[in-house]
Amino acid sequence: MNLFRVVPAVVVAVSLWALQATAESLPLPEGRVLLTVSGDIEMTNDGEAATFDLEMLRALGESEIKTDTIWTPGDHVFTGVRLKTLLDHLGAEGSTIEATAINDYSVTIPMSDATEGGPIVAYAMDGKELSRRDKGPLWVIYPFSSSSDYRTEVIYSRSIWQLDRITIKE
Amino acid sequence: MIEATSQQRSRDTALWRRGQLLLVLVGLLCVLSITFLISEIIRDLRFLNSARSDNVHWVLSQAEVEFLDFRNAVQSAQSSTDPDALEELIVEFDVFYSRIDTLHTGALYTELRQIEPFGQSIATIRNRLDAVIPIIDGPRDQLRAALPALSEAADEIRPLLRTAATTGLQYFVERSDQSRENFASTLLRLALIAAALVLALIVLLGHTRRVGKQTETRGHELADAYSRLNTILETSLDAVIVADLDGRILNFNKAAERIFQYSTDEVLGKNIADIVVPDHHRAAHDAGMQRMRISGEQRVVGQGRVRLEAKRRNGEIFPVELALEMAESGEDEMIVAFLRDISHRVAAETELVEARDKALAGEKAKADFLAMMTHEIRTPLNGLLGNLALLEKTPLSVTQDRYVRNMDISGGVLMHHVDAVLDVARFEAGAAEPREEVVHLGRLMQDIVDSQASAAEANGNHIQWGWIGDPATWVRIDASRLQQVLLNLVGNAIKFTRDGRIVVEAECSESGLDLRVIDTGVGIPEADQERIFGDFQTIDNTGEGATAGTGLGLGIARRFVEAMDGEIGVESTEDEGSVFWVRLPLTCVDGPEEDDDPQRSCPEAQGHNILLVEDNEINLELAGETLFGLGHRVTEARNGQEAVEAAEKGRFDLILMDIRMPVLDGLGATRAIRAGNGPNRDAPIVAFSANVLPEAKDRFIAAGMSGFLPKPLVEEELVRVINQFTSGEQSAVEASVAPQKEQNTLDRLTARYVSQMNALFDWLDTGPDDMSEIAAEAHKVAGSAAAFGQPDLRDALVAVEMAAESGDRDLVERAIETARQTREHLPDPSLS
Repeated sequence: MNLFRVVPAVVVAVSLWALQATAESLPLPEGRVLLTVSGDIEMTNDGEAATFDLEMLRALGESEIKTDTIWTPGDHVFTGVRLKTLLDHLGAEGSTIEATAINDYSVTIPMSDATEGGPIVAYAMDGKELSRRDKGPLWVIYPFSSSSDYRTEVIYSRSIWQLDRITIKE
Repeated sequence: MIEATSQQRSRDTALWRRGQLLLVLVGLLCVLSITFLISEIIRDLRFLNSARSDNVHWVLSQAEVEFLDFRNAVQSAQSSTDPDALEELIVEFDVFYSRIDTLHTGALYTELRQIEPFGQSIATIRNRLDAVIPIIDGPRDQLRAALPALSEAADEIRPLLRTAATTGLQYFVERSDQSRENFASTLLRLALIAAALVLALIVLLGHTRRVGKQTETRGHELADAYSRLNTILETSLDAVIVADLDGRILNFNKAAERIFQYSTDEVLGKNIADIVVPDHHRAAHDAGMQRMRISGEQRVVGQGRVRLEAKRRNGEIFPVELALEMAESGEDEMIVAFLRDISHRVAAETELVEARDKALAGEKAKADFLAMMTHEIRTPLNGLLGNLALLEKTPLSVTQDRYVRNMDISGGVLMHHVDAVLDVARFEAGAAEPREEVVHLGRLMQDIVDSQASAAEANGNHIQWGWIGDPATWVRIDASRLQQVLLNLVGNAIKFTRDGRIVVEAECSESGLDLRVIDTGVGIPEADQERIFGDFQTIDNTGEGATAGTGLGLGIARRFVEAMDGEIGVESTEDEGSVFWVRLPLTCVDGPEEDDDPQRSCPEAQGHNILLVEDNEINLELAGETLFGLGHRVTEARNGQEAVEAAEKGRFDLILMDIRMPVLDGLGATRAIRAGNGPNRDAPIVAFSANVLPEAKDRFIAAGMSGFLPKPLVEEELVRVINQFTSGEQSAVEASVAPQKEQNTLDRLTARYVSQMNALFDWLDTGPDDMSEIAAEAHKVAGSAAAFGQPDLRDALVAVEMAAESGDRDLVERAIETARQTREHLPDPSLS
């Protein structure tokens, strides 16, 4: 039954380097900036905000979620950084996350969604980097297949694609 | 009551079954309904949970918005030379492309794409976008140059997107409607099923309540029944013991306590064999129980009452009547034993049987005594009458002749009485079986009337007989009995009628033969009519010249009629007459063919060749003379041995055989003749005996004898026997050929007797020593002395015989002396 079918999320170990880096200052992005995080964070590299290129995101540790989505045909393996890992790295301490897309589509994600088994900020699908035309460069992916709790309207609305800004709010 | 209960029970069982069935059905219905509901709800929940469609509206409107952004970006880029405008255009393209790609490939829109205007529109848009990708991704100057083309492409895309959006929205509106309807119908079903469930539960509750009530009622009934049963068991006079198949006592009622002298508490759980079964029945009891446990075979159980013995506490063995039944209590089988102490009854029965046996023995002794005495009386009477007959034929004075006639009459009456008593005795001794033969009823009647005609005339009576209605001719009936009955009735009628009429009527009806003997005599008082058929009943109104009888005549008639399955009765008016009626069952048969053969009707004048065996000289002489007188040839034999020897030499038409004889008796001689190979092996041998008892006759038949001729010899009977056992009718012979008995025969007999007597005394004078010879010779002459009118001499010689048998010589001498003296004063010997 679909309801109980669990496609386990494959979790790739978080690199030790990334853990050590939390305490350090955030490096400056070298490539194209894909994500800008602002708001209640401890670590910044661009004024009040923290900016990330792809390499920086990769450096935070890769996580994989194998799931189907309502927007794509078939199962795919999404690769990205776990939202919790990202926020932990930045020392984010707010209660909500306001995520905004390139086209200014914006959703509010409660901080509580950011868990170990929760959503990732995906930058690749089936090993291929997400282009802007493929809902890239960043796409918040929940493990939809793993639980019906993730197949709700609310969760679908939080699965924001073409993500480029995050603001942490109290 | 039991019937009704069992019917009730079967009805209840049916109700229970129906209830159970209903329960199961409702349960199944519940489970099905619940399963169905759950699946419905899960489906709907999943649908609601998955919420696959809800953002489609947004996606479609967003697609239009993003398209407009893209078109605006194209227009802005056209109107401005700012390079950022181109970058903005690229971003907007990518965003729009991404949206269209989602619509084109997204799993959520698979169904939607099946709708042609939508699917085709999206596919076309995608193709248009793919076509401009090289321009978008190309160098900026080229992109700028292509802006008018892009604008044109956007213009083309716009209606397509519009079509897709309206189609999609329309689809989802319909789907939403349908889903709402589905949901509503699910809810309706839910409500219906819920209602049905509630209804079913109500029905079930009702049923459960009813069953509960029944159970309660049944419980009361059971309690009542149990208490009734208990009362019955406790008040039963029979001991009731209930045991299981192992013999353990489960129940022991009051009567059992009383009979076996145990209290219930003492015996519960103990083996029944230890309590009530006597030691000598123990093995059989154990074997029976074992058999029943193993094979279920039941020999005593359910077989009704059986008589057995049981044991009391004090060890007393007593008879009981036992009935065993099996009963089932749940799955266990029980044995219920009903025991009745019948010791009193058995004792009473034994007493009764003893009393009955004694009474029967007494009856038999009485009958035997009667028969024996009658027989013993007949023998001397025989002698008397025989001599009287002989005397009648001697020259007598007128007075003497009258005396002799009177004596003859009295003798005849006496003989008749003796015969009557003998008839009763014989009847009582069991000779009651009718001996049916085929007779001509008319001739039988005629013979009777003829034989009584002279007696009737003597009383001035006229006698006649006749048929009423159709006559019966040949019938199967016990003729001799019928004759005896009719003779008796006719004789009575003659006796009690003076100068009147006696009519014998015979009438055949469907019910049998009716015979009526009607007289115009003195009649019988009403009060006496009942009792005259009893034994020894006489009526004392016979008037002058009456002869008192034994009172046995009608008693015998009644016995005989009843033995023939008939009825007898009387109707009478005093001084007017009586009607004696007899009703007998009658079997008509085809009579024997009338014998018209002249050869047979005129038989040869030749007499038969007859062997006469008789040890008594006088009797031998008498019978021989009679036979000779009838025209037969007679060979004489004086004992059985002589008879056997004579029988070996020549063929006889008939052998008349005395029974009690010296050397070899009649039975032995008969056996010898029958067993031998002589010419008389199959000759008729007729017992010639004074012993007329039925058991004696049986012995004769057993010895191989053919018939019986009673002593004293009566000529008619002799003729009957001869006719019966020889071919040809001899009656004609006797009538035509019988010569007159000659006077000199009697003289010769007398002379022989005198010489025999003289010889005896002469021999006795010689003083013989052989006592047994003296006894035998004395006996021989004594037998004749009575017949020759010298009873004193007979007595004296009998005394000699007895003295000789005792072996006392003095006694013999004295007896011989007495006999000699008696001889001195003897009257002349005379036979006729």
